[in-house]
Amino acid sequence: MTSAEQEARHAAWEVALEQDRLPPFVEQRLRDAGAGRTPWVATMTPAELLLAKTHGVRPIATVSGTCWYSFGWSWTEGHAEGWHRALRRIGEEAFAAGANAVVDVKMRTIKHGFGSGMDFTLIGTAVKVDGLKPSPDPIIATVPALEFVRLLEMGITPVGMAVGAAYDWLGNVGGFGQGYGSNWGSSSWQIQSEIQPWSSNPVYTLTDFWERIRREAHAELRRNASAQGNGVLAHTHFGQLLRRERDKQPPAYLGRHIVIGTVIDTPRNAPVPHGIEIVLDMADRTPLVSGSVSRNDVYGGEIGEGEGPI
Amino acid sequence: MADDIPKHALERLEGLRREGHPDGIFTSDFSVNEFLLVRKAGFEPIGLCVGSCIYHLGFQFAGWGSNVELEQLSLAMYEARALAMERMKLEAAQMGADGIVGVRLTVKRLEWDRKVLEFVAIGTSIVHASGHTGFKGKDGQPFTSALTGQDFWTLLQAGYRPLEMVMGSCVYHVARRGPLATLGSVGQNVELTNFSLALYEAREIAMERMQLEATKAGAEGVVGADLHEGSHNWATHVIEFFAVGTAVLPIEGHEQDDIPDPKLVLSVNV
Repeated sequence: MTSAEQEARHAAWEVALEQDRLPPFVEQRLRDAGAGRTPWVATMTPAELLLAKTHGVRPIATVSGTCWYSFGWSWTEGHAEGWHRALRRIGEEAFAAGANAVVDVKMRTIKHGFGSGMDFTLIGTAVKVDGLKPSPDPIIATVPALEFVRLLEMGITPVGMAVGAAYDWLGNVGGFGQGYGSNWGSSSWQIQSEIQPWSSNPVYTLTDFWERIRREAHAELRRNASAQGNGVLAHTHFGQLLRRERDKQPPAYLGRHIVIGTVIDTPRNAPVPHGIEIVLDMADRTPLVSGSVSRNDVYGGEIGEGEGPI
Repeated sequence: MADDIPKHALERLEGLRREGHPDGIFTSDFSVNEFLLVRKAGFEPIGLCVGSCIYHLGFQFAGWGSNVELEQLSLAMYEARALAMERMKLEAAQMGADGIVGVRLTVKRLEWDRKVLEFVAIGTSIVHASGHTGFKGKDGQPFTSALTGQDFWTLLQAGYRPLEMVMGSCVYHVARRGPLATLGSVGQNVELTNFSLALYEAREIAMERMQLEATKAGAEGVVGADLHEGSHNWATHVIEFFAVGTAVLPIEGHEQDDIPDPKLVLSVNV
């Protein structure tokens, strides 16, 4: 690629990101794939391809949505916005490919040491279903193709992704980029009285504050999902309770919580048509329990060093 | 074939339908398999329920050479978990749940104060799809269980229903060995009985407490019992033993013959 071509591509990307659409060369690639003029590309395994094919689900192209988002006054809301933008963009690519859905959508982020903020990326496989017209609004399914087909069979449509994020300060800290607590200004004194070096006791003020943030994040998740479906399988939970020391005052606390899940649409009490057979695997190591690493582990879970279950 | 896919799902795929359900949305942390198996068992998820407790752990003195339970710490560790569980259960009761499955109980030391621990209980509340109320726990409250969706389905097939999560905690100070005892065993293969005794006793106390809870709940047994050890950044000779499991009751009318024989398979692609 010549430097002039490179510059032209960069300019096209800039215009596309500004106008919330795709660069012409990406759109063309996806249209060609959708029309069968170029080979299909799928993140599916051969087993997934097999099952998808039996149900008339055919791969078109690998599609993605990326947004590098810098956090201003709210890290928490920045994460929610970053994922939402990535979702819109992967949807645009799927639409250009003439897809009915994107399956196997994985959340990705690059652990980097440059710039502020972080990248929010979604990658998946755009698919079409035999006999159906392309959807003006392809569904974004954060489940592998194998599970996608199984869910469809059972009347459950994975339709998208929902994000619930909430944060608050306990004790006003003021200043740009610091945020203000809501109605918790005097509570930090209360916490000081609840934390006595020798006594073992619940810290009720902090617990109530922290629980409220979690609940708000869950309520936000419900609100975000309710425009798409009637259920969420929440696979990612991330929360932090941080303390900031203050001069001549008790510390202030920042609580932030993010929960992300796959939105599904299913009739209430839909039957599960398949029978379930109990089998005992005679192999000493079974593939049924291997590969348990989370697909969307962008936050590394809540469990870290010195922490654990129970 | 695409014919196997219900019309409802095909309409969504074709973009012909895009209505949300603002009034009737459920949340859950089930995997796809768990969700399907809970449905297969005749239940529907209604919401994620969470309870937490931030707890300040004080100090308790123990003699340098004594094997002794640190009762205040045992009580504190138990109380913190019980409060988190209680709050989670309250949330489930407010949702009108029959029970909570997949409860995960975690403890996390907060970075800014090594004596402050965060205890979290999180699970998915469920209701019986046909309104059967016979699955509620003690006193008509939602049952609690650490069982996954898969375990829940299998437990019901086995003719049992979950009643409540039971637990027992014991924080124990393991005595240090005196210099003479240490010198006396240099170069010998010998059991350090004071250490054996301490670990044995601490586990025993935790198990007894869990079993007592199950008895009080009126359970027939406890499934998925597990015993954890953790030091939570205490001094090296202070260890917590924590026993947890799900107390169960038999389902009335369920016979042993109702359980199908499992099929034996051998995976060849290990």
